[in-house]
Amino acid sequence: MNKFLDIVANNRNIFLGLILIFLIFVFSFIVPNFFELYNISNMTQYGIEIGLLAFAEALIIISGGGGIDLSVGSLLSLSAMVIGVLVGRHNFNIWAAVIFGLGTGALGGAFNGFLVNLIKIPPLLVTLSTMYIYQSLALLVSVEPQFGNPMPISKFPNNYLFIGQSTILGVPFQALIIFIPIFFILNYYLKYTTFGRNLYAVGNNEKAARFSGLSVEKTRFITYLIGGILVGIAAVIMTSRISSARPDLGENYNLQAITTAVLGGVSIFGGEGNMVGVLFSIGIIVVLYNGLQLAGVNAIWQMGALGLVLIGSALGHNMLFQRAERLQSMTQLSVSKDLK
Amino acid sequence: MKKTMLAELFKRREFTVTGIIIILAILFGSLSSNFLSISNITNIFIQISSIGIAAIGMTMIIVTGGIDVSAGSILGIVAVITAKAALTGLPTPLILILGITTGALLGSINGSLVSFMGIPPIIATLGTMSFFRAMVFQLLGGRWISSFPDSFRRISTGNFLNIPLPICFMFFLAIIFTYYLEYRPTGRYIYAIGNSVEAARVSGIPTKRVLLLVYIFAGMMFGISGVIVAARTGIVQTNTGAGFELAVIAATVLGGTNILGGEGSAIGSILGALLLAIITNGMILVNLPALTEGLIIGIIIIISVFTDIMKLRRRRYQYE
Repeated sequence: MNKFLDIVANNRNIFLGLILIFLIFVFSFIVPNFFELYNISNMTQYGIEIGLLAFAEALIIISGGGGIDLSVGSLLSLSAMVIGVLVGRHNFNIWAAVIFGLGTGALGGAFNGFLVNLIKIPPLLVTLSTMYIYQSLALLVSVEPQFGNPMPISKFPNNYLFIGQSTILGVPFQALIIFIPIFFILNYYLKYTTFGRNLYAVGNNEKAARFSGLSVEKTRFITYLIGGILVGIAAVIMTSRISSARPDLGENYNLQAITTAVLGGVSIFGGEGNMVGVLFSIGIIVVLYNGLQLAGVNAIWQMGALGLVLIGSALGHNMLFQRAERLQSMTQLSVSKDLK
Repeated sequence: MKKTMLAELFKRREFTVTGIIIILAILFGSLSSNFLSISNITNIFIQISSIGIAAIGMTMIIVTGGIDVSAGSILGIVAVITAKAALTGLPTPLILILGITTGALLGSINGSLVSFMGIPPIIATLGTMSFFRAMVFQLLGGRWISSFPDSFRRISTGNFLNIPLPICFMFFLAIIFTYYLEYRPTGRYIYAIGNSVEAARVSGIPTKRVLLLVYIFAGMMFGISGVIVAARTGIVQTNTGAGFELAVIAATVLGGTNILGGEGSAIGSILGALLLAIITNGMILVNLPALTEGLIIGIIIIISVFTDIMKLRRRRYQYE
């Protein structure tokens, strides 16, 4: 049993995997049609959008220096509205509009990165401000000139909807063609490229990274930029899935993305965490949401349960971490005795 | 000596914010004749009283280097509980005490998670934010509460020496907490913790207990705001207080509280709240679309922090 605890303590991903299995087990008993294909496909579609935001958030938090992004949801709304307005009101070609939408995401991320790294404003404040700014811009963009009110747009061409609504061999298109490749690319990028390793170095110890000749600012700026692009991609998938764009599309996602990333083992102090953990965390959140929904619990308790899981996982991690630390100091003690 | 004191005053953030407030007041006053009327000014002050009081609590938390995003949800729970108590006909002073106690209780949950369990404040309060919001829903059962007795509404409509009660509460609390933070040992401990937890611990400050106390105080402030909001709006629903935390954080930061801890004052935060309220109020009076509100608030936060950072750089440059 102790050995088992040690393994779990030293590997957060196993810890998360166990929670996920436990949740699936519980819900498959409570909810009769939990395992139906329709439901699983639904869960995946939802998980992909929150997942892309969580990936963006994870990268930014890993980059350290108090890195956090409260603006992902607002930026999602803004990117989605840009796509919607260009297509629905200015009759742009849909793919040109998509490029503009992705560009909006990239620009939003770059603006955050610029304020954080060149002006040196703490990320919490930068993204608190841009959360307001992007949300306000999304509303302004969505104003229908004829009536002077913010209006949603649902005039998307049919050849756009395959991104969010079609399946390949039963698997949602966006999972197979967009989400899974992004996951593997990010995973590879963090583990095996110089840039990914720099990101951890910068997040772990800014000073040490600087003295070893890394450009802390450049590394972090690019991270915020990538984060923005991921948000843009999520906006494309979302508008295609629901075939409309609303200025309040990302309203609840600002804090949800942070919760998902942190639950996935990304340390809020930076320099720690990986994409596999975040993937497990996305799984946990989607299963929790979906299971509670199918069990007839009110939607607001999905957030409530998420809050409990977040605090519980932080507590559990702290306890296990302390245990691991104690064991480590014990082994160190015995080693130092041996040396004597 | 006097000259340095004056120079010191000019350097204070409160001074800059007051300056901006006066300039904006003159600007909006010249654009709209209603802006500087007594009724509009009273209106603005009543509007900021709930945010201002909560900002006092948020200031203490941010000074310790923490943050509390659950403020809006705490406000929601307190609003529901006091509204229910008001409907049962409980006397108003008791309702106020009930609200403060509930706030303190919820704040102590945040405080224990942060101080004794060692969970980073943003994570702990993010979790309690969602959980407390779900509690609001559970307590309300998906309905809303309105038509309170007049005795309860009087918390927001009543006067003391011709000054509306919420404004009295705000100034009273601002004075008490300014004294507490400036002159009481525990108040100074809060700043010490914000500057360096390690140094504070080594010099014998019971850091965990002080942290817990800060979150309890803040919870009490959010509780008082909750009672005022319930009494003023006359309706409590599931989303009462949603997004409130961000307005409070914005006011606190505008008022010169350093988000990294160790710096800030209660008066500054109230001035920050006043500045935000003047902007939103003035925008309505000069007919700017309400949709630009977030845009302008966001830009003002960035500019104000930017000037701080420039000042800090210049100071550092002088030392070198």
